[in-house]
Amino acid sequence: MIRLENVTKVYKGEVLALQNASCEVQRGEFVFLVGPSGSGKSTFMRLLNKEEKPDRGRVFVAGRDIGDLSSWKVPFLRRNIGCVFQDFKLLPNKTVVQNVAFALEVIGRPRSVIKTKVPAILELVGLSKKVHNYPDELSGGEQQRVSIARAFVNRPLILLADEPTGNLDPNTSLGIMTLLDRINRTGTTVVMATHDRSIVDKMRRRVVELDRGQIVRDQSRGVYE
Amino acid sequence: MSLKLDYVLRETAGNFRRNVTLTLATVITVTISLTLLGAALLFGDAVDNATVRWKDGVEFIVFVDHDISPELEADIRRQLEESPEVRGFIYVDKDEAYAEFQDIFRDSPEFVDVITPERLPASFRVKPTDTLPERVDELAAAFRTQPGVANVVTASKTIRQIEDLSSGLRQRVIIIAIILLVAASGLILNTIRMALFSRRRDIEVMKLVGATNWFIRVPFMFEGLIQGLIGGVIAIPLIWLTNDYFSVINDDSLSLLRDFTVDSSRVWALGFQMMGLGAIVGTVGSGIAVSRFLDT
Repeated sequence: MIRLENVTKVYKGEVLALQNASCEVQRGEFVFLVGPSGSGKSTFMRLLNKEEKPDRGRVFVAGRDIGDLSSWKVPFLRRNIGCVFQDFKLLPNKTVVQNVAFALEVIGRPRSVIKTKVPAILELVGLSKKVHNYPDELSGGEQQRVSIARAFVNRPLILLADEPTGNLDPNTSLGIMTLLDRINRTGTTVVMATHDRSIVDKMRRRVVELDRGQIVRDQSRGVYE
Repeated sequence: MSLKLDYVLRETAGNFRRNVTLTLATVITVTISLTLLGAALLFGDAVDNATVRWKDGVEFIVFVDHDISPELEADIRRQLEESPEVRGFIYVDKDEAYAEFQDIFRDSPEFVDVITPERLPASFRVKPTDTLPERVDELAAAFRTQPGVANVVTASKTIRQIEDLSSGLRQRVIIIAIILLVAASGLILNTIRMALFSRRRDIEVMKLVGATNWFIRVPFMFEGLIQGLIGGVIAIPLIWLTNDYFSVINDDSLSLLRDFTVDSSRVWALGFQMMGLGAIVGTVGSGIAVSRFLDT
């Protein structure tokens, strides 16, 4: 599903974010990206939806070299990749249901589809009772659920989660992990960057460790260290 | 890609609400620049109409009797051809004179109706070699006493001044108008950029979930289109106002500037052209502003 081949990414000519990194992720896998800040986790993810271009090496998503992808096709690549962030990136002037519907609206989905899909996904993430609330009326965990609902409503092949539990307390984090696990079980490939030792140790999934832009460990059913 | 109208309208309305003052400033700038440009073009037309008989060095006109005999007319013609002081001349027969008259007074059909080609005299428009006013007057006077000549009219000082002035003035007004128009597109660009900035989260999310660039762009371009259109629509009555002002000049000095008028259909056409220009400037300005923001 995902393959990096000898990828090097240098920012502004000096900051080495990734150095000759190679990695392959199969369809339906759940992968933790671990490592200290600045080790290249975010760059790894940003390369996958072409927010960044590699300086050397090639990136394949769903069997396609996305280096060849012309810029007008990038939006269509991104429709297959859901993204979840530490800071949720919800629109504050839209309600829960509007936030999720927006994601379908702007890719031109018909209203009938939006009407059935949005309540279904909100049910899945356990927010059917708060559909008309605004983000600032929700707890952090609830906001992250909305953001996961938005990322997953279009049933992407891949879900990228950049420290999704970074702002949440341990209990809430666990709830989010259960949700990501459920999404993974539907066949969606999940790549999650995290600093959260307890979660990685508890889940026992594949762990890819980055240090100063290099992949220093790749372990199935691994732990944080 | 299916772009829904209600989506575009909703987004555009939201942007307008968020940036009322900027939108207002943009519309006013568009209006002023389009009005100036329109007025400059209108002024040019009026000058053309007023001086149509005095083009290309024509300094005086010999009107012949409207029942002149062909022999007498040939006499005058020969005299013009043989005179060393005449560089050239244009013969305007009754029908041509009538066509020109109709053209100038398109706007006043009641005026045109009472005149027939027979009532208008044929004329020779004379280009003297020496354009010094005194010499022209002398030459003109020589023809005034010719048999068969009804009247000789020299280009009045005023007409000459208008001609001299108008080309420079018109150019300057057009230059100012174009500068203003550029400023207006800059303002539209800025308005859109502000709108984009206040909605950068929305755009970030849109890009994230895979909205195409055109999908993001169209509501903003629509906003620019509407700003330009509103500016253009307000410019139309203002252009009319300038035309009314020309008419006032006309009444004040009827004898000198008899033909200083512009047909109303021309004013309308100009108004709509300005409106279209506003729409184009608005749309293109916004398109550029958004593209800079998208830069994928």
